[in-house]
Amino acid sequence: MRKVISCVYVEAKKLLRSRIPLMAFLSLTLLPFMAGFFMFILKDPSRAHRLGFLSTKAQLAGTADWPSYLGLLAQAISLGGLMVFGFVMTWIFGREYTQGTIKDLLALPLSRQRIVGAKFIATTILCMLLSLSILTLSLIIGWFLQLPDLSLATVQRGVLLFLFCSSLTILLSTPVAFIASASGGYLAPLGFVLLTLILAQVAAAIGYGGFFPWSIPALIAGLAGKEQAMPTGANLVIVLGTGVLGVIGTALWWRYADHC
Amino acid sequence: MEPVIQTKDLTKKFHGFCAVDRLSLSIGRGEIFGFLGLNGAGKTTTIRLLLSMITPTSGHCYLLGQRVDAGKLDIWRDVGYIVETPHAYPELTVRENLEIMGQLRGDIGRGAVDNIISKLKLGDQACKKARHLSMGNAQRLGLAKALIHQPKILILDEPTNGLDPAGIVEVRHLLQDLSKNYRVTILMSSHKLDEISQVSTQIGIIHHGQLIKEMRTKELDKHLHKSLLIDSRNRKAARSVLSQTIFQGHIKTTEAGVLEIEHAKAVEHPEAIASLLCNAGHPPTLLKIKRENLEMYFMRIIQEGEKMPNA
Repeated sequence: MRKVISCVYVEAKKLLRSRIPLMAFLSLTLLPFMAGFFMFILKDPSRAHRLGFLSTKAQLAGTADWPSYLGLLAQAISLGGLMVFGFVMTWIFGREYTQGTIKDLLALPLSRQRIVGAKFIATTILCMLLSLSILTLSLIIGWFLQLPDLSLATVQRGVLLFLFCSSLTILLSTPVAFIASASGGYLAPLGFVLLTLILAQVAAAIGYGGFFPWSIPALIAGLAGKEQAMPTGANLVIVLGTGVLGVIGTALWWRYADHC
Repeated sequence: MEPVIQTKDLTKKFHGFCAVDRLSLSIGRGEIFGFLGLNGAGKTTTIRLLLSMITPTSGHCYLLGQRVDAGKLDIWRDVGYIVETPHAYPELTVRENLEIMGQLRGDIGRGAVDNIISKLKLGDQACKKARHLSMGNAQRLGLAKALIHQPKILILDEPTNGLDPAGIVEVRHLLQDLSKNYRVTILMSSHKLDEISQVSTQIGIIHHGQLIKEMRTKELDKHLHKSLLIDSRNRKAARSVLSQTIFQGHIKTTEAGVLEIEHAKAVEHPEAIASLLCNAGHPPTLLKIKRENLEMYFMRIIQEGEKMPNA
C-alpha cells in the first residue's frame, strides 16, 4: 500500500507541476459559462435581442430554470469531458513515450501495473477535482443568473446527475490511455478522442446511442430527451466494461509489450 | 564464480530482422564490460533485453543469477541503467527528478539525493528545471538516476555521450572507482574502442547482432597488428637481403616506398634486422614498429565479421 501511495504521489507531483490541470480547468470553464449564457438568453430573449446577443431571426426553445440549467451542464460535461478528460489521459500516458521517460519506469522494483494504476488514480482524482470545481463554478453562475425553481431537491438531483455523468465520462477515457501507450505518443489518442466524440453524436442521432459507450453519459444527461435519460443496466455494463477494458488493456500493454 | 550478467543464446527478431543473434556473454563481479559495436549493431537491443524492456525471441538473460523477467521485481533493486539518451521530466528540477526516482525505487536512504548530487557535481544545477539543462548535465542527471540507489549492476548505454572531455574523464574515474572499490559490475556500450579500452576490463565486439570478438582489455595489445617499417638508401638491395630470410613472403612496400614486414619475429627483434642489413652493406635509415591503432583494429574486426558465414 505504501508503494501505491508513493507512486500516486509521484504521478500527482508530475501532474501538478505541469500546466495540464490549469489548461484542463480553463477548457472546462467554457461549459458553465456557455450554459449560463444560454440561460441568460432564454430567461429574457427580448433583452438578448436588444443587447445583440441573439440575432433578430434566431429563436431558442427551452426554459431558463435550475433543472434545465443543471441538465444542460450534465450534457455538457458528458461531451466536453470526453474531450478534456481524454486530453488529460493522453498527456499522462503519452508523455512518457514522447519525452522518453518511459524507460525509467520499466526496470524498477515496482510493478509496471502499479505504475499504470497510480497513473489512473492520479488522473481520476484530477478529473474528479476538475468536475467538482466546474460544478461549483456552475452553481455560482446559476446563482448570479437568479434562475427560477431553485430548491434543495432540484440542486441535489442536478448535482448527482452531473457527478454521475462526469464519473462515467472519466471511466470512458481509460481506453485513451491504452491508445496512447500502444501508439507511443499523443496523436493517435487525440484522434481517438475526436473520433469517439463524433461517433457518439452519430450513434445518438440514429438511435443506437445506448449501445455505444461514449454516447451513454450524454443520453443519461438527457441529450435525446427524458425517455432515454434513465440508465439501463445494459448501459452501465457497457460503460463499466469499456472502462475496465481500458485499464486492463493498458496494464497488460505495459507489462508484456516490447517497449522500443 | 557465478556471472553477474549473463546471456545465453539471446536472440531478438523484429519482423524477420535479427537484431541480436544467439548472443552469449558472461560478466563476472566487479568487471567493466565494454560492449562495442557500430550504430545498429545490436548494443541497445541487447541492453533493452537485459532490462526486460523487450522480450527475447529465444534465449535468456540472467542478472545476479536470476532469470530476467519484468515481473521479477527484486532483480531491479540492484540494477541502475541508462538506455540511449537519458531523459528527465522537463518541468521538474534536477533535485525533484532525483527525488522522484528515489521514491519509485524506495528505501534509498536519507541523504541519497544530496550524495549523488555532490558525486555527479550537479550542485549548481540542482534547482534548475531539467528542460534547461545542457546535454552534458542531462547526461549527468541520467547517471545520477542510475546510481542513486547504489546498485550492484550498472548497465549504461553510451554513458559519456554529450559530455565534455573533463566530464568523460570524471565518469571514467567514477566507473573505475565503483568497479574497484565497490565491486559494481558494469556493462557499458559505446562505438568508441578508444574510450572503452580506457575504462573496461573486458571487451566484447558486436556486429550484426553477433558477438564477434571477446577479450580481456589487457590482451588488447596482443590483438593489434604490428609490423616493422624499414628504409634504406638502396631499397631494392635491402629487400633482396630480407627476401633471403624467413621474412620472405611477408615483405610489402608501402605507398611511400618504405618496406614493411608483417612478421612477429621482425617486430620482436628489430635489432636483428638492423644487424642483417648492416652486415649486407645496406644499413637501415629507418627502423620503426608500426602499431595498428584502435580504430583500425575495430574496423578490421568488423570487416572480418562481415566475412563470417553467419554474419
